Amino acid sequence: MNKFLLNLLVFISFTTLASAQDFPFGKFTVDEMHLKNYKNDTSAHAVVLNEFGSSRIDIAGDDHIKTFFKYHTKIKILDTKGFGKGTVAISFYDSQDTHDEVIDVKGTTTYIDESGGIKITELEPSKIYTTTENKYWKTIKFAMPNLSAGCIVEYKYTKLLQGFGRMPAWEFQDDIPKVNSQYEVHIPAFWTFNAMIRGPLKLTKSKADVEKECFSSHGSKCDCSYLTYGMADIPAFIKEDYMTSSKNFLSAIYFNLEEWTNPYTNVKNKETKEWKDIDYNFKHADYFGSQIKKNLLNPYIAPVIAGKTTEIDKAVAVYRYIQKNIKWNEINSRGSDGVKKALDKHTGDVADINLALVAALNSAGIKTDAVLLSTRVNGLVNRLYPVESEFNYVIAKTTIGTDTFLLDATDPTLPFGMLPIKCLNDQGRVMSLDKPSYWIDLVAKQTQNTASNLEFTLQPNGKLKGTITTYSMGYAAFNKRKEIKKFNTVDEYVENLDEKLVKTKILKSTISNVDSLDVPLCEVYEVEIDVFDNLNHNRMAFNPVLFERHTTNPFKLQERTYPVDWGVSSNDRYTLTMHLPAGYAIESSPQPAGVALPNKGGKFLTEFSGAGDTFTYSNVIQFTKSVYAPEEYPYLKEFYNKIIASEKTEIVIRKK
Amino acid sequence: MKKFLTLFLILGTAACANAQANYEVSRIPKELLPYSSAVVRDESVYTQVDGGNTLYHIKKAITVLNKNGDDLAHIVVWHDKSNVIKGIKGAVYDEFGKLSSKFSEKNFEDQDASNDFSLFEDSRVKHYIPSIGSYPYTIEYEYDLRSRQTLNIRDWKPNLYPGLAVEKSSYTFACKPDFDIRYKEINMPAKMVAGYTKEGLKTRTWQLSNLKAARSEPYSPIKDTYLSTVKIAPKHFVYAGISGSFNNWNELGRWNYDKLLANRQALPPATIAQIKELTNGIIDIKQKAKKIYEYMQGKTRYISVQVGIGGYQPFLASDVDRLSYGDCKALVNYTQALLKAADIPSWYCVVEGGNAKTSMLDDFASMGQGNHVILCLPIKNDTTFLECTSQKIPFGFLSDFTDDRTVLACTPEGGKLLHTPKYTAADNLQTRKANLVIAADGELSGSINTVYKGTQYDNPESLVDEPLKEQVKIIQKMYAHINNLNVEKLEIKQDKKELPIATESLVFNAYEFASRDNGKLYFSLNPLNRSSSIRDVRNRTNPVYINRGYVDEDEIVYTLPAGYKPDMEPIDVSMSKPFGKFKMSSVFADGKLTFKRRVELIDGTYSKDTYPGLVAFYQQITEADNYNMVLVKTN
Repeated sequence: MNKFLLNLLVFISFTTLASAQDFPFGKFTVDEMHLKNYKNDTSAHAVVLNEFGSSRIDIAGDDHIKTFFKYHTKIKILDTKGFGKGTVAISFYDSQDTHDEVIDVKGTTTYIDESGGIKITELEPSKIYTTTENKYWKTIKFAMPNLSAGCIVEYKYTKLLQGFGRMPAWEFQDDIPKVNSQYEVHIPAFWTFNAMIRGPLKLTKSKADVEKECFSSHGSKCDCSYLTYGMADIPAFIKEDYMTSSKNFLSAIYFNLEEWTNPYTNVKNKETKEWKDIDYNFKHADYFGSQIKKNLLNPYIAPVIAGKTTEIDKAVAVYRYIQKNIKWNEINSRGSDGVKKALDKHTGDVADINLALVAALNSAGIKTDAVLLSTRVNGLVNRLYPVESEFNYVIAKTTIGTDTFLLDATDPTLPFGMLPIKCLNDQGRVMSLDKPSYWIDLVAKQTQNTASNLEFTLQPNGKLKGTITTYSMGYAAFNKRKEIKKFNTVDEYVENLDEKLVKTKILKSTISNVDSLDVPLCEVYEVEIDVFDNLNHNRMAFNPVLFERHTTNPFKLQERTYPVDWGVSSNDRYTLTMHLPAGYAIESSPQPAGVALPNKGGKFLTEFSGAGDTFTYSNVIQFTKSVYAPEEYPYLKEFYNKIIASEKTEIVIRKK
Repeated sequence: MKKFLTLFLILGTAACANAQANYEVSRIPKELLPYSSAVVRDESVYTQVDGGNTLYHIKKAITVLNKNGDDLAHIVVWHDKSNVIKGIKGAVYDEFGKLSSKFSEKNFEDQDASNDFSLFEDSRVKHYIPSIGSYPYTIEYEYDLRSRQTLNIRDWKPNLYPGLAVEKSSYTFACKPDFDIRYKEINMPAKMVAGYTKEGLKTRTWQLSNLKAARSEPYSPIKDTYLSTVKIAPKHFVYAGISGSFNNWNELGRWNYDKLLANRQALPPATIAQIKELTNGIIDIKQKAKKIYEYMQGKTRYISVQVGIGGYQPFLASDVDRLSYGDCKALVNYTQALLKAADIPSWYCVVEGGNAKTSMLDDFASMGQGNHVILCLPIKNDTTFLECTSQKIPFGFLSDFTDDRTVLACTPEGGKLLHTPKYTAADNLQTRKANLVIAADGELSGSINTVYKGTQYDNPESLVDEPLKEQVKIIQKMYAHINNLNVEKLEIKQDKKELPIATESLVFNAYEFASRDNGKLYFSLNPLNRSSSIRDVRNRTNPVYINRGYVDEDEIVYTLPAGYKPDMEPIDVSMSKPFGKFKMSSVFADGKLTFKRRVELIDGTYSKDTYPGLVAFYQQITEADNYNMVLVKTN
């Protein structure tokens, strides 16, 4: 498994009590004031000198149980490029039934003025703004005053989260380095949480103490676990190209409620401890099981499958129907407000659409289950224990004959059985309503393949005339269809292509299977290309890679920390056959190239064969894996170097 | 009786008869379909000035032909505390004009509309994406909007985007007969028709039909010059409880000065004393101003905070002095206050910022033509403009954000239209000299020296103040055609003059730059500065517009590996067109290959027939840039 995803359960032995450890506000040392750069990372524009957070479940003034999250940070701004750290936005949830709050915001900027004296400016309460983002979220925003290179900004606030089910996570790592970061959690014994650490960095402090009788409400009392997690000398998190969600790699600690005892009734409540609990919840939830269980969509589906006899025909028809009839509103979700409503309104989120698909296929007599997953952007889900909220997407899974199909109906250009790349993220959980749930691999069935055949005759006027035939398959076809659909008509697409390829004149074009999603997309262009002004030269150089030549390497870093993750494997094949006019012959041709990636990771091959007035050049680039580990990175980079070098070479044609 | 009632209802709702209009898609005139992704079937915008309020009633039916049209049909209504929406509702129809569903205000999402960078902005947006799952479909909607002011009257832009055709659209502006207005038509095929409502309001109406969709064409002038607009400005108005009047820029500028800007520049005595001390002994006004400007740059930072009168009033100079941040208005006002402390007069100038050069309309004064503020130093024969929102931009330099355009200066004598400096092609000069050695194993090494001037000064900006580790990443992307580029030394210098100069010196090596094949060496002759070709456009309708000119000069001297010579004829291309010049050559002598490239692009507007020439120009440059050199052994 992925070495970056160390899903460690944190077991620590309890020791005796120590007192709360926030660092004092407004204190700084002369060294901190005069710090010019951060010794552990001289490229940093700002560094967190100290950061402290604490969470505590307690009784609020209004007698409700709330989670109190206190945050305190002290940041050294090293130069003007670090000023971004002086503008702060704190989001909090505020909807109809849940009102969180942010209170006690306090901030200061400490700086050295022109005369060399140390000055402190306080953040003014009137300059703290609250904005309503939408009906669920509000944001507190403020800009720290009097920033200058070398200043220290320090601020703290308290966030009150309603209830006890949302213990705040803590990110030890940020895009700037931190000298020290510490998080304390106080959990009364009525509650039990799982803690989980992600990322490759190690805790430098982890401690568990007992706080005596820290929680008391209406005569009910208990002790608290007092957990301390700390890291020192935390490097900045630096993103790399072609990587999946930062969340998979960022060092952080997450909490999940396992069970709790009602302090007033002593009734024990198990939260999602095991999959069977989650299975039960989902099966009975209005937003999930109820949407699939009932034959809600029978009246819609009966006409769709009328006359269809085989299961596969029925399944494809139902899939197309849902694809066409509910437009995705660009919102990801794992539960639906009502699949019937979505079908009537013709618009819905992911769960509306794909649970409608599950319901519709079941109502067509095709046994189908829903599969929960987390998209690539959302990050990987942990495997130690189930956390419902880690999933942000749901798809359908059906088996017809011996073939298993994973289906997502949110995109009308997806062929039956193909998942969008965003869904190809490790594993998903199949939520069967009549069996225990289980994991399945989310891997692409299809690859990203293209095959181009070019057949040209060099004309006496120096132009190439002939045909380009390109087949796009799998994800390549999907992408090309999307490209074509950007235009109002296929003709407008070809016109645009023709206008883009200035030297190439498209004389005639046929694009087939634009809407037949389950077969390769085929483009045939009859073209004329200006290659040479005329043929009045004795020797002419000709590069056989006429289109999409590789000239720059996508990989520039010396080494990589995180894997290169493309989501799918690919295979591109290019063949050029060329006929020369009478009186010309090939003087020299490039040597064939043959490069392979280790562990059968891929290959690059070129071949040249020619006799008389006809020659053939072929070029194959194949990546057989979708993910390449950092250790494979140097090979990958070199692989591209070889492609670029080979595609620079030319064929020389000579007049006889 | 029932029959009679029906008849009565029909009479009573005659004015709304088109609410039952037939939106069958096949009724769209055929000539409106090419390049259209959506067609406005019927739109009516009714604007009425009512005391201190402006009321709008907007009703629109739009047919979406394909996926691209979804965005054009996406209903987006901006609102805030003083612009209140009421009664938004609508319906969706299928291809055959049959009612598919209805929607109302509760279907809309309401969101904060400020951009990510903004600390605070009182602007919200309601939006809704209607759909029936398949194309084509038609949506029809209407709403009322009450704006608590009469200064800023919304423009009418019937064909706001390329790809949107208009079957029918009308605009009516109604007001009391004694409410004087001025109006301006831009590309308006329709004639204004004057009339009266039965309540005695004076109306002015424009009605147009069958406007084809504009196609998005590269190198087009700014959209406002070819899409249709009607602008209306009042004579007397009320804004945030302040009344005023204007007929021209002078009067509008005066109102701005008196009502929005006056008395906002008081500074604490300590700051005034500091400014006096800072400028003590400097005699030249400009030198003094520069000193103060640099002080302001060192002290402040830009933060967007859109508060104050409708976002038009800067916050107090004393606030900026205390907090050291502000938006463009606040920072300009603060700089002005600092200059005043040294008895240097300056003017607050409203400008439309952006890479595209948008000017205030000479002949039509109205509020809302600018989105940014800069400061003008009215020094005799040396008018200087200052951008106050950047900590780094040189004194007097506007870069490509506010250059070469008409701005409104708000002075004690009223508004004045001024023109900001233009940076010509010759000003925007990039000169590069490289001395490179190619080894027999293909390695490239040597030094590159580049001088960036004028608006090209910004090209290496991202390298400044970055540690070498970051600079290397940026340089590898800047010189992407040198694979395996390994930086040995890099230096950036900035000379912050009014026409600033940046100098970049790079020493590097790159293995396997030239590829070896069959005893030959192949390499790209111009790996440093490459153009890409532009899309051809047949049957172009817009003139060719080049927004900003530049000159790029590159010279590379390659020392070839011993025993090798070029296999091909040297390259020698030269072109001269009204809009630009291009020259490229390579000469081989004494084991050295000297490559030269010069591209000059001259800004301006050229006839649409020039476009094929521009395409050919770029194509030839691109091809020459892709020229591969082949070296063979001499014996």
